[in-house]
Amino acid sequence: MSKKILAWAGAVFAALLLLPMVLGEFWVLVLTEILIMGLFAVSFNMIFGYMGQLSFGHAAYYGVGAYTTGLLMVKFGLPLGLSLLASMVMAGAVALVLGYFCIRLTGIYFAILTMAFGQLIFYIIFQWYDFTGGDNGLQGIRPPEMLDGAWSYYYFALLVVTAGVFVMWVISESPFGYTMRAIRDNTQRTRFVGLNTKKYMLINFVLAAMFAGLAGGLWGPFNRSLSPDLCNWHQSGVPVFMTIIGGPAGFVGPLIGSVIYTFLMAFVTGFTEYWPLTIGIIITMVVLFLPGGVWGLVERYSAALPAREEPPVDPEGEAP
Amino acid sequence: MNGDYILAVEGLCKAFGGLQATSEVSYSMRQGELSAIIGPNGAGKSTFFNLITGFHRPDKGKVLFKGADITSWSSYRIARFGMSRAFQVSNIYPMLTTYQNVRQAILVQQRRTMDLFRRAEHLARKETAELLEVTGLGEHHQEMAGTMSQGDKKRLELALALAIKPDLLLLDEPTAGMSVEETHETMELVARLNRDMGVTILFTEHDMSVVFGYARRLTVLHQGALIADGAPQDVRADEEVQRVYLGEEV
Amino acid sequence: MELSLLLAQALSGLSRGMMLFLIASGLSLIFGVMNILNFAHATLWLVGAYACYTFWFILQDHSFAIWLAIPLAALSVGLVGWIIEVLLIRRVYERELPEQLLLTYAMVLILGDLIKITWGVEDKLITRPALLAEPVFIAGVPIDSYFIFVIAVGFAVFFALWWFLKKTRFGHIVRAAVFSREMVGALGIPIPMIYTGVFVMGIFIAGLAGAIQGPVGSVTLGMDMAIVIQAFCVVIIGGFGSLLGTLVSSIIVGEVYAFAILFWPGGALALIFILTAMVLIVRPWGLFGTPLRA
Repeated sequence: MSKKILAWAGAVFAALLLLPMVLGEFWVLVLTEILIMGLFAVSFNMIFGYMGQLSFGHAAYYGVGAYTTGLLMVKFGLPLGLSLLASMVMAGAVALVLGYFCIRLTGIYFAILTMAFGQLIFYIIFQWYDFTGGDNGLQGIRPPEMLDGAWSYYYFALLVVTAGVFVMWVISESPFGYTMRAIRDNTQRTRFVGLNTKKYMLINFVLAAMFAGLAGGLWGPFNRSLSPDLCNWHQSGVPVFMTIIGGPAGFVGPLIGSVIYTFLMAFVTGFTEYWPLTIGIIITMVVLFLPGGVWGLVERYSAALPAREEPPVDPEGEAP
Repeated sequence: MNGDYILAVEGLCKAFGGLQATSEVSYSMRQGELSAIIGPNGAGKSTFFNLITGFHRPDKGKVLFKGADITSWSSYRIARFGMSRAFQVSNIYPMLTTYQNVRQAILVQQRRTMDLFRRAEHLARKETAELLEVTGLGEHHQEMAGTMSQGDKKRLELALALAIKPDLLLLDEPTAGMSVEETHETMELVARLNRDMGVTILFTEHDMSVVFGYARRLTVLHQGALIADGAPQDVRADEEVQRVYLGEEV
Repeated sequence: MELSLLLAQALSGLSRGMMLFLIASGLSLIFGVMNILNFAHATLWLVGAYACYTFWFILQDHSFAIWLAIPLAALSVGLVGWIIEVLLIRRVYERELPEQLLLTYAMVLILGDLIKITWGVEDKLITRPALLAEPVFIAGVPIDSYFIFVIAVGFAVFFALWWFLKKTRFGHIVRAAVFSREMVGALGIPIPMIYTGVFVMGIFIAGLAGAIQGPVGSVTLGMDMAIVIQAFCVVIIGGFGSLLGTLVSSIIVGEVYAFAILFWPGGALALIFILTAMVLIVRPWGLFGTPLRA
């Protein structure tokens, strides 16, 4: 790992450890939300940034994860840790079935099919009143006593999210991760080198869903209640926004996006109900005038700085 | 099927719409051959390659490779089985560095692509460096592959095809866009692969000096059909071949 | 099952289908020609409904109120479409898919809130015109005459579009552009003009559809969300860029919905999704679409 990346990651982590000690409860809750949504956004980027396909239905797995943890805890009294694992497995299982069909398509058809499946999951949860509570949602999810407080749940979320992001990072730097990049770059070449690209894409899809499921699992006890809206295409749009706002860089982009998006939302909804209008205008501005996102700005700025001895570090931190 | 035919194509036919791109082509290669297929533009050379590498399904005919009937196999399965291809238009990974390009192909060959947890950066260093060296890409290894010159991209293309240690290597105009020195280097490498490593090689070319300088067997395609096959000097003297190439240096 | 119920359901389904056709035809045309999936299409439809309400409200003392309000609303929405194309859409033609999708998605959010700001949150009711207020009796079964009106308009638009695409020069160019953009460009025909024209036309039809939707029930916020996915499904099943395909699949979806409500009310939409997913898997370019563009 390049020293620079390590230093930055360490600094950010230290900040995340220390910040809650000086912030009030509201902002600790906001930070927790940033972490959870950040995990969700990074998992989305496994499909978007690393595999090169736009999924407009990733919230389906987030929602499945959320409901798995919620239902297991509320209806069966299972502990949080076990429920989170179950969330990952459940989200992965659903992704295995749906993904089998999705990865057969690319481009806009992939986007549309993932969206259609996302809505399907939404409707199933919505209609299955007896089990999921339908549009009344699921209430009464509480974290275990030890974690039942803004600060304690925050640190728990920080732990889980850091672990999740770290694992995803390890995967992205592994031969499998590079195979994903190869598939994104030139699927045909990858086939001609001897790989069954569909198999790899499905595995990546399932992995991404599992981490989305983990993020969803964290959300339930945080929010205390769940609604089927967690699966709809608006929710699916959130990690897309975050990744575009933050920039295409593998991990930093979606995380920056989560910070910006969540902060903005917390801030704006404080004094206006017209959050959709606000975020809509911001997205439009970013798409039209800032295609590289915030990270793109940072890169351009640092490229403009006087040259250093070490070669420019690419976003993935690779320096062979 | 005779034991030492590595490739045996029987009666291959393929039509696109109304155009018969490949017409009853039968062609066999022995292990260790260094042969060339030529023909004017539109003769069906690329289609022929596409058919035997699984990119297209033939309408009729069979393709046997190392004794197995691969006619209906998908392209990735055929590549895994030992047939590799370097494309006419460089088919590389533009957004990865040259180093990463080569390493990726080597990791495939080493069957390590399912590894989710080791750092790719630490793997296959020696093999990647060697292959970069052998194909003359050593200096460019940190460059983004898409930004390289056409000639370098062709070299990378060759490196990718070689990385998977094929038994049969198909080269589609391997020296297109290269300077005289680059052409010489590339073809010397190809010859060495054939001579020292026993790789069977089939290439297409428009550069006749390359064809006559290196191929030990020459086959000519015209309008999808095979019209001549044999030692290069004999083929060169063939009347029909001369007619087809009227005006060109044969 | 009673015949009268079946007939009523079938016509209800047809009416629903024709409304979907009106929305989906523009969507399909825009995607077929410009490869832009307009997420905001249904929202513009909703703007049409609200605009119709406003025009009707202003004119309501006159007997011709609704008949003037509908075209006025459609034209207003067409104008909005033109503004959107000039200011926003044309900047992303050359961009990648995610950016295009995000832009139209952002429009959903922006327009949705603008509707809220302009017209507030209460439902709007438009009184049906006297001509269509009473049910007609077909085979002894009372049928909502407004449904007939919607069906009539739907078919009228279909034939108008069909005539436009098959018989007019501009229409020929548009059909050629669906088939091959490059070819049309190479013939020296200005692609930007075609794009603007097609976009405005598609949005105009959506506005017209919304205006007609107004008197069906009430005009409420969020109606666009409920219908947009169905419209997508219609376009996928029918095939992007195919007018006939859009018509056929609209009717299929409309009828599936109407009859599913009888047997499996909760699953009507799920059924449509499953149908859509099946089409995407087996034949992504739809029943009537051309594989070349897949």
